[in-house]
Amino acid sequence: MIKLIGSRLLVLPLLLLLLSSLIFALLYLLPGDPARIMAGEYASAETVDRIRVQMGFDRHPVIQYLTYVRDVLQGEWGRSYQSNRLVLEDIKQVFPKTIKITLVAEIMSIILGVSFGVLAAVRRNSWIDRSLMTVSVLSLSMPLFWLALLLQLLFAMRLGWLPPSGSGDLFSRYIILPALTLAIPSSGYLARITRAAMLDTQQADYVLTARSKGLREFSVITKHMLPNAWLPIISVIGVDLARLLAGVAIIEVIYAWPGLGKYAFDALAHRDFPALQASLNVLAAAVLFVNLGSDVLYGLADPRVRAEENA
Amino acid sequence: MMLGRVGNGDVRRISVIVSLWRSKSAAISMVFIVVLAVIGLLAPVIAPKDPTEIEIFREVNGVTINPPFPPSGQNWFGTDQLGRDIFSRVLYAIRTSLVIGLLVRGGVMIVGVCLGLIAGYLPGVVAKATMRLTDVMLAFPALIIAMAVTAILGPSLSTVIIALVLVSWPDVTRLVYGQTLGIRASDYVVAARALGANNFRIIARHILPNIASPIIVAFSMGIPGAIMYEAGLSFFGFGIQPPMPSLGLIISDGRGYMTVAPWYTIFPGLTLVAIVLAFNFLGEGLIDVLDPRSK
Repeated sequence: MIKLIGSRLLVLPLLLLLLSSLIFALLYLLPGDPARIMAGEYASAETVDRIRVQMGFDRHPVIQYLTYVRDVLQGEWGRSYQSNRLVLEDIKQVFPKTIKITLVAEIMSIILGVSFGVLAAVRRNSWIDRSLMTVSVLSLSMPLFWLALLLQLLFAMRLGWLPPSGSGDLFSRYIILPALTLAIPSSGYLARITRAAMLDTQQADYVLTARSKGLREFSVITKHMLPNAWLPIISVIGVDLARLLAGVAIIEVIYAWPGLGKYAFDALAHRDFPALQASLNVLAAAVLFVNLGSDVLYGLADPRVRAEENA
Repeated sequence: MMLGRVGNGDVRRISVIVSLWRSKSAAISMVFIVVLAVIGLLAPVIAPKDPTEIEIFREVNGVTINPPFPPSGQNWFGTDQLGRDIFSRVLYAIRTSLVIGLLVRGGVMIVGVCLGLIAGYLPGVVAKATMRLTDVMLAFPALIIAMAVTAILGPSLSTVIIALVLVSWPDVTRLVYGQTLGIRASDYVVAARALGANNFRIIARHILPNIASPIIVAFSMGIPGAIMYEAGLSFFGFGIQPPMPSLGLIISDGRGYMTVAPWYTIFPGLTLVAIVLAFNFLGEGLIDVLDPRSK
């Protein structure tokens, strides 16, 4: 276990370096002269040239990249072209918002997905099972942005129960709609996985034993089937969290949720290179950390992996 | 069942379709996809109206009303703010969705399978480097990266395809890598090598046919994702550009009229869901027939 974590941690800096260099290359190719954007539309050619030299935009891209890595490590993430604010400060403000919405969505998705999955497995082949699985396929077949628009239309504009967009300071009603939208497809996926995992345990000897010694169905399910079905579910939750982070930008833009995804989107739209670069790096690094975390969690949850270490 | 070169290939190929046909949902989705393809090909013939035809007012019971007009016998999906028939716009857009789905997935397969085969067959530095690259690529926020790529290349049909191939290959590479790794050590590959077959022949004749099933499944299971990504890119203005039709574009147009003309957003979206569902069911049918173990 420790060896596994250790080797993964050793690769991590390498992956981060690879990641940041790919993003740097991508942004380097992005059209738009950064010096021109910084100087403004009406600046003279001399001013633009002066800024280009000052910021080092005229140097070789490899040198620019290395300078960038050095600056990032020193905590100098540059200033936004748009607002002239420090990008690091912006990220510190928007990233927690993204973490918040992702976690709330993940919790919603686990609650909905696992309970629907267990219900479908227990009532296998009944109309409940069939309708739950149909809904789960449907939830996976809807484009996220369209689902967001539909829910916005229904809950905010027609029923008026929830605010259509924006964010409140405290934990508020604003988070419900975006988090729910984000949670719906992943809960559909989790429900399918949970159902399959539960059905897998159905034939297991320990379940037969539990049944034959006369345990009530409820305790067979909660004490014998679910604990064994958790493993595949946990391994999916990690993947799912990474997927939520990928989809969060769509949700944030449509619901005007001021998180990292919306920050990246706005930065791309305005060719705000330092802001875009930082937000892409942070988003992708977050996914790498989530992947690492879920591997570790899986190892901790599976007694067999733990046993291998002790042996 | 493998789609290998064992026995008569044609018989096998036919039997796959026959088995698919026996599954109700796969059969329905196959028929639906054929219908969609016909619609896509013949949109100009089938469409009840010219999708660009503008109608700025209409007399209903002696009262003049302005577009967007609600759904009616005349306009099944209603009209947009210029009085254009949304049903006809949607029919034209289906073509774009299908073309994107097939071409993106085709490109992803070429890139993903090649890299996966190379990494799986040549372990060591090449494999390590390729797999680390896929790790990193899988961590990227795909939609924003695709947006950046279309922004670099200028948004259009071909650049959308390039962008989506660029962000979607790592999944397939990982799959093919794993499969190849498993087969590389098998007896028949060792035997082929002992008989003096070169690497190209071993890959083409022995490895590829044996991993054909998961590759076909991955091809078809990835089509819905590609179609949804295109719609997303176009919705946010980084994909297909007007006047080319796209479901994502129609939904994006409709967003501004959501309270007064919900049909403008809902029907194109439902069409998208129907297309995606059809490919999902076909994919599941293919898994049952070709690769039941992976379920």
